[in-house]
Amino acid sequence: MAGVVSMRHQSGPGRASQGKTEPAPVRWALITIALAFLGLFLVMPLVLVFTYAFNRGLGVYFAALTEPDAMAAIRLTLITAAICVPLNTVFGVCAAWSIAKFEFRGKNLLITLIDMPFAISPIIAGLIFVLLFGARGWFGPWLIDNNIRIIFATPGIVLATMFVTFPFVARELIPLMQAQGTDEEQSALTLGASGWQMFWRVTLPNVKWGLIYGVILCNARAMGEFGAVSVVSGHIRGLTNTMPLHIEVLYNDYQFTASFAVASLLALLALVTLVVKSVVEWKGAREHAQAVREAESEQS
Amino acid sequence: MSIEIRNISKTFGKFKALDDVSLTVDAGRLTALLGPSGSGKTTLLRIMAGLEQADRGSGQIFFHEEDVVDTHVRHRRVGFVFQHYALFRHMTVFENVAFGMRVQKRAARPTKDAIKARVHELLGLVQLDGLSARYPHQLSGGQRQRVALARALAVQPRVLLLDEPFGALDAKVRKELRTWLRRLHDEIGITSVFVTHDQDEALEVADEVVVMSQGKIEQVGTPDDVFHNPKTEFVMRFLGEVNTFHGRVDSGGVQFGALHASYPHTQRKIPGDARVFVRPHDVTIDTKSNGLPSMLAKVERVHSAGAFVRVVLSTETGQTLNAELSQERFTSMKIEIGSEVHIRPRHIRVFTETD
Repeated sequence: MAGVVSMRHQSGPGRASQGKTEPAPVRWALITIALAFLGLFLVMPLVLVFTYAFNRGLGVYFAALTEPDAMAAIRLTLITAAICVPLNTVFGVCAAWSIAKFEFRGKNLLITLIDMPFAISPIIAGLIFVLLFGARGWFGPWLIDNNIRIIFATPGIVLATMFVTFPFVARELIPLMQAQGTDEEQSALTLGASGWQMFWRVTLPNVKWGLIYGVILCNARAMGEFGAVSVVSGHIRGLTNTMPLHIEVLYNDYQFTASFAVASLLALLALVTLVVKSVVEWKGAREHAQAVREAESEQS
Repeated sequence: MSIEIRNISKTFGKFKALDDVSLTVDAGRLTALLGPSGSGKTTLLRIMAGLEQADRGSGQIFFHEEDVVDTHVRHRRVGFVFQHYALFRHMTVFENVAFGMRVQKRAARPTKDAIKARVHELLGLVQLDGLSARYPHQLSGGQRQRVALARALAVQPRVLLLDEPFGALDAKVRKELRTWLRRLHDEIGITSVFVTHDQDEALEVADEVVVMSQGKIEQVGTPDDVFHNPKTEFVMRFLGEVNTFHGRVDSGGVQFGALHASYPHTQRKIPGDARVFVRPHDVTIDTKSNGLPSMLAKVERVHSAGAFVRVVLSTETGQTLNAELSQERFTSMKIEIGSEVHIRPRHIRVFTETD
């Protein structure tokens, strides 16, 4: 027996994890290519954004950010995110809950529909809303009669952003909730909890990290969305320009420094998102691994 | 508190999980719902708990004298223990056990100190008091199941319902835990129902065993009763191993193989087909004929690693039989593979089509 045990140790996972499967030159070549690629296509542009933003000094940088049109664009972006993210969080939780915890007809259709914004080009998403609410759209005449503006106004931007960012929260939660099953919820009910108590005290804490991750991704996309918003916004300076649109306008006007100054804000948002995301991912992965491990140990 | 089930049916789509089931569970008893998977035992338990609804208008469930069929699971006050524990994974052992008290309405909720005292009392009862700060994933399967039990008892349930409570545990822990459950039940005396597919578990732990098959109750009785006096063929087959013979009943007796046995249970005069069941431990093996009626058989295999020696035999007609005898008897008889022996059933049970 002792022989068998020691042999297992030799061929155990420790050996593979030391990465001795490839010769050293191959390993170094692969790592170098990957790093060079990342540097060229991701790090360099990011560094360039900040270099250009600051190349005429802090004064110009802050002037570009505090200029009224830029302030309006920042405000509109924040408003859009502030509306879209909470709504999509609620919708996402509802959708994930119904998909993971109930059996019903049309469940697969619902899953497909949730994925649709990922599959459709954002431009098309924007056009859909123009076709629906534009002056010559289905609801156009009625909206004009009632003096409601959707296209080329904030509501249109919010709608387009909501459409594009819809899947993020639901997509994060569905696999997590499916892995966890409904036993804990039923347990809470037998112990006398109300549906509300069950949700707040059992369901939500169990999916906390997945939810935060989904919300972060949703927020990053809501603030950074360009295509769909570009179609419905009309690019009215100081009124319907979001940050990405404002950046484009400035760039097209050859105001490179101002354009990169605003861009640096979005880039900063991206960096913060990445940091928060990796922390949350790390925590969430532990939780998910635990859920899976428990599910597996229960099946054995 | 007694539980009375009256005419409960449950269908899932086209599948009839429970078919007009009625059952009374006496107060203070530990009752086992025993059956193969798909027999409806878990469905019945979940309907008692209110986690599943019986078919509309199909019957009633009484806890003592109160009809609870329309009472929501939340208000039914049952302690339910899930097969896979279903502990709240983000809460410590203490928080898990305290949950049921903490979600009560403010007026009914015990004070913080009272909750703390009760949790520690319960953890003491399940012998886990030192582990109250642990999370479920830091506990073994057996410990988790005991936390689940403490949590269920914390709300002072009227009845305790356990769904395959030891199903996810390995054989050794399972044995320990079921003796422990029996002791705990004797200590607290709450009316308890547990579901199992393991006949040893049911026979060893329960006061009363309810054998179920295909959505119906086959037999209700003490472990002794269901094991020694099975009412149906299903119960006979399900509670332990059997050898089956095809035979014929005539007036006052039954003929099977080369044997004829008196069979006073039947009143029938007309001969008819019958199945004769013999448990392996009721088969006597002799190396020489001793004058009593017997069958000839050949020894095919011997498994002697165990408390009893199991001998696999084949009869003259080619039928395979299992016999079980003590180690002492086996060594004194010197049975060898391939040798001819005389076999004689000591007890038989006969079931005819009309039984």
